[in-house]
Amino acid sequence: MRELAKVGRVMSNSDDSPSMALIVRKDLGLSAGKMAVQCAHAAVSCTMASRKTNSRLMERWLNGGARKICFKVEDLQSLQRLAGQAQVAGLVTHIVKDAGHTEVEPGTITVLGIGPAPRRSIDALTSQLKPY
Amino acid sequence: MGIRSIIHKMTAPSHQGESPSGPVKLVLIINHGLKMGKGKIAAQAGHASVQAMLKAGEKNPLALQAWLSSGQKKVCLKGDDANQLLALEQQAKEAGLLTSKIHDAGHTQIPSGSLTVLAIGPCQDDSVEKITGTLKLL
Repeated sequence: MRELAKVGRVMSNSDDSPSMALIVRKDLGLSAGKMAVQCAHAAVSCTMASRKTNSRLMERWLNGGARKICFKVEDLQSLQRLAGQAQVAGLVTHIVKDAGHTEVEPGTITVLGIGPAPRRSIDALTSQLKPY
Repeated sequence: MGIRSIIHKMTAPSHQGESPSGPVKLVLIINHGLKMGKGKIAAQAGHASVQAMLKAGEKNPLALQAWLSSGQKKVCLKGDDANQLLALEQQAKEAGLLTSKIHDAGHTQIPSGSLTVLAIGPCQDDSVEKITGTLKLL
């Protein structure tokens, strides 16, 4: 019976392939190239972080095509609120602070990366956000 | 294990690639002919960076370490079309640099299987600039 329950859980999991959310501040008006670089930074750092803490989930994420979705938020406050919610939910997060060589002031927070995490956790957090 | 093999193990050079002597960066070349949205480009750049990182972790851990500890420098450049990206990939391979190609699954915006991004590196600034020096920033 226990075995069956286990199988059931695994099956429902495979449906729910993990995903990563990249959340960008809209108010900074970053150029496409800058934004791409910042998002890439978040993706790499999140991957490094979860390689240590949750390697199994990361494996499934990579095998499932390493889903990434890009959202926008209005300002810094909304970004930090989301980061807090994600941390409370126990998800891997990474906040990108720009070195400020171009476009923005040094130390500006530009992007929040969440995940890889089960898709339903990501969906729950980002259901109110608009895709970029 | 005999004493000789122990000594060999201690003294043999490790297969970790060459240690970079200068600043290290990762170059992302975006296929600009596809007319992707900003968010789409960002997600594709994320794919390329993660893949380049994992590849470097296997094939050139020293370069990866240097890159991670020096702030993960990345540059995003504009490529005209898939053919140009493939030509650049060829040149990079001939120069012995690591490359990663991203083909999109095509769930949104563009046809399935399109080549969206080519990543070169992480490798030394000067070795990749020989190949991508003429491209414009995105």
